[in-house]
Amino acid sequence: MGGRTAAVLAGLRRGGRFSTQVFAAIARDRILWRVAWRNVWRNGRRTGVVVTAIAVGIAGAVLSMAIQFGMVFQMVETAIATDLGHVQVHAPGFRDDPGLDHRLDDGGRAGGVALDELPQVAAWSPRVRASGLITSPRSSAGIQLIAIEPAREAAITVVSDSMVAGAYLDGDARRVLIGQALADRLHVKVGSKVVVSATDVHGDLAGEAFRVAGLYRTASLEMDRTTVFVRLSEGQKLLALGEAVSELVVRARDRKDAADLAAELGRRLGSEADVRTWRELAPLLVYFVDMFDQMAWIVYAAVFIAMAFGIANVLLMAVFERTREIGVMRSIGMNGQRVVGLVTLESVFLVLVGLAAGFALTGLGLFLLRDGIDLSRWAQGLNALGVSNTITPVLRPADVLAPVVVATITALLAGLWPAIRASRAQPADALRHV
Amino acid sequence: MSLEWRLAWRNVWRNPRRTGLTIAATVFAVVLVVFFVAMAAGLHEKMIEDAVRLQSGHVAVAGAGYFENRTLEQYVVVDPAVEAAFDGAEGVRAWAPRVLGFGLLSKETDARGVAVLGVDPEREPEVTTLAERVQRGAFVSNDTPRGIVLASRLADNLGAEVGDVLFLYSQAWTLESAFDLFTVVGVMKIPDVNMDRSFAVISLADARDFFVYGDRASEVAVLASDAEAAPLVAAGLRSTLEGAEPVDVRTWDRLMPELVQFIFLDDAAMYMLLVILVVVVGFGILNTILMAVLERTRELGVLLALGLRPMAVFRVVYVESLALAGVGLLLGLVLAIPLVLWFEGHPVALTGEMAAATELFGMEPVMTWKLKPLNPIGSTITILGVAALAAFYPAVKAARGRPVDALRSL
Repeated sequence: MGGRTAAVLAGLRRGGRFSTQVFAAIARDRILWRVAWRNVWRNGRRTGVVVTAIAVGIAGAVLSMAIQFGMVFQMVETAIATDLGHVQVHAPGFRDDPGLDHRLDDGGRAGGVALDELPQVAAWSPRVRASGLITSPRSSAGIQLIAIEPAREAAITVVSDSMVAGAYLDGDARRVLIGQALADRLHVKVGSKVVVSATDVHGDLAGEAFRVAGLYRTASLEMDRTTVFVRLSEGQKLLALGEAVSELVVRARDRKDAADLAAELGRRLGSEADVRTWRELAPLLVYFVDMFDQMAWIVYAAVFIAMAFGIANVLLMAVFERTREIGVMRSIGMNGQRVVGLVTLESVFLVLVGLAAGFALTGLGLFLLRDGIDLSRWAQGLNALGVSNTITPVLRPADVLAPVVVATITALLAGLWPAIRASRAQPADALRHV
Repeated sequence: MSLEWRLAWRNVWRNPRRTGLTIAATVFAVVLVVFFVAMAAGLHEKMIEDAVRLQSGHVAVAGAGYFENRTLEQYVVVDPAVEAAFDGAEGVRAWAPRVLGFGLLSKETDARGVAVLGVDPEREPEVTTLAERVQRGAFVSNDTPRGIVLASRLADNLGAEVGDVLFLYSQAWTLESAFDLFTVVGVMKIPDVNMDRSFAVISLADARDFFVYGDRASEVAVLASDAEAAPLVAAGLRSTLEGAEPVDVRTWDRLMPELVQFIFLDDAAMYMLLVILVVVVGFGILNTILMAVLERTRELGVLLALGLRPMAVFRVVYVESLALAGVGLLLGLVLAIPLVLWFEGHPVALTGEMAAATELFGMEPVMTWKLKPLNPIGSTITILGVAALAAFYPAVKAARGRPVDALRSL
């Protein structure tokens, strides 16, 4: 058993060393490169068709993945920009049971001190979060009540930039911001009176009248329907919270800093606070993005398998019509390895030319779509997913990497059969061949 | 078999290796297309069926403006005359009146805003699967007044269990405050996460009492024999119910425009990729036929010199291309159809994170396939169409050849 395994391993090592040597030899063989490159262009029309097929396939697949990822990317952006921020600080236990029982009693002061010292932080803001009911003279709806410090919140989330009527929270006391969708349901407009009720920290029902200061509309229909903003101090008073808050929401200078920032903040705050990045706060969103990354590889693999047949076909034809020529090369001393190398190189060149053309075409497509694709006809369905009406394609590193990797593998595999066929030809037979 | 067909068929097999590779590419594309189209069809049909059976029914009847606003202000009166109209309507399998209100539900210090649906304990199970979704305890019944069934995440968030007493606060139809105590009789699992956080069911009688709603209902959900029968049922109900009160009768696709749009976008994304796949295969066919024509320049010249009409040469090349694609298509369908039919009988249950992600979209975590007749028919038309397009240039090239030049070549 052990002996056999050792033998197999030794064989593999030998094989590996052998192929490394072969590759090295081919890589150094300038003449082989020149001949292969010239062969690619010997039948311009045939090469043209294959290159076009590869280019169209790549450009089509990459662009459609970029458009779809643009949608996914927007889902993430929307979630971060409307609510999540990059990092949030809660009292321990809040994530499992997001109620008033789990609160930052110091009003987030400890977190605030730490946040002010961290260089990656662009802005932070305290919030109170509670579930409640909003009542208008005509109707009522269940809501998520969020109490904010208007100026600080504006530096983090997009609500202040998403006003469609009235004004953002400022100046006057006892004002609320509600979504356009919620306003339609309640039949209220700017200046209307509404009553916001919720259970306060002692478990008593608390209600207070507010006037609608303004209406907002974001890319998230869910948010527009359910989230109501009031000023922090008024929210704390309504819920009898004193100066306690539910969370601190943080915007990092760069989204990539979120993990570092959260780790550093977690270290400084110790066990009194639960610091989480947006990835931890919205695991399903992250999963969705990851799933999309995996899907990209499957899509590219499918497109390239379809291409592989065409590539193999062209190479096979090229090899057959050159039977005599290859015979001549062999009889003047070219060995089988070099013939394999030659045909494989042809395959790789063919695919690389197709790749280059494909990415050029992709670039053109991205340029034409730079202003985004207007999908307002399907806006409702998109908004329900947290995607806005205009989608801008987003190219990820994987969209460049995956085609290059899959294409190279395809080129090597598709070239293999024709290459071996060519190397097997006996010079004498080949020369007899017309 | 005509001359063109014989020539074409023989030509196809003159280079078996080349033909084999091209056919293999076609088979690959056909299998992928049929498989993925069936997967999407299964997914979408399940989404519709789930949504219809979860909540909306195939057709809903409500007061004018209800579907835009969903408040107590819009209603239909369900009196004996209206009941008779529903019972007598053609294609109606079952119907159930409901009252929908919003309120604040609290247990000690915890409170959540909820949608409260008042349902008829006898009629509702005939239309929707709400009653089957109860995990613990029981569904609402007329024997236990002031009973409430909570969605599971709502129950978790409130820390409520069967037997607990909750306080419901809202606004009645008369615009007065409405509040009362309800006892949790059951906990149900709703696949839609958002709904699972904020949804509760009480009995129709309690809802009418709580919201001071008399014999009104927010809507009447109707189950038709199937989704396709919905428009007919809706039309029938519209004509019978049109009378004193203005009513709005809607089919499922208009009740859930978001779902219809989502399905459209999902389809669009999938077809985009399948089209690319088919185009790539099309180029493969083009190359094969082009090479076949170019290497036969002399032979085709002889045919033309012997008096074969250019149109006949054109047809030979065309038939060659269609035959090539046709063989690939047939083999592809022979492989794909049993494969899809097998998956149709064996749905794949999703687990872990993938299951959680599908639940986010309000779906049960199961992948199903559905082979609609349009799927293989559409695939056939597409592949043959692509083959026809691919053959055009080589066929023109072959037919245009001048015998004298052709004979001189090679």
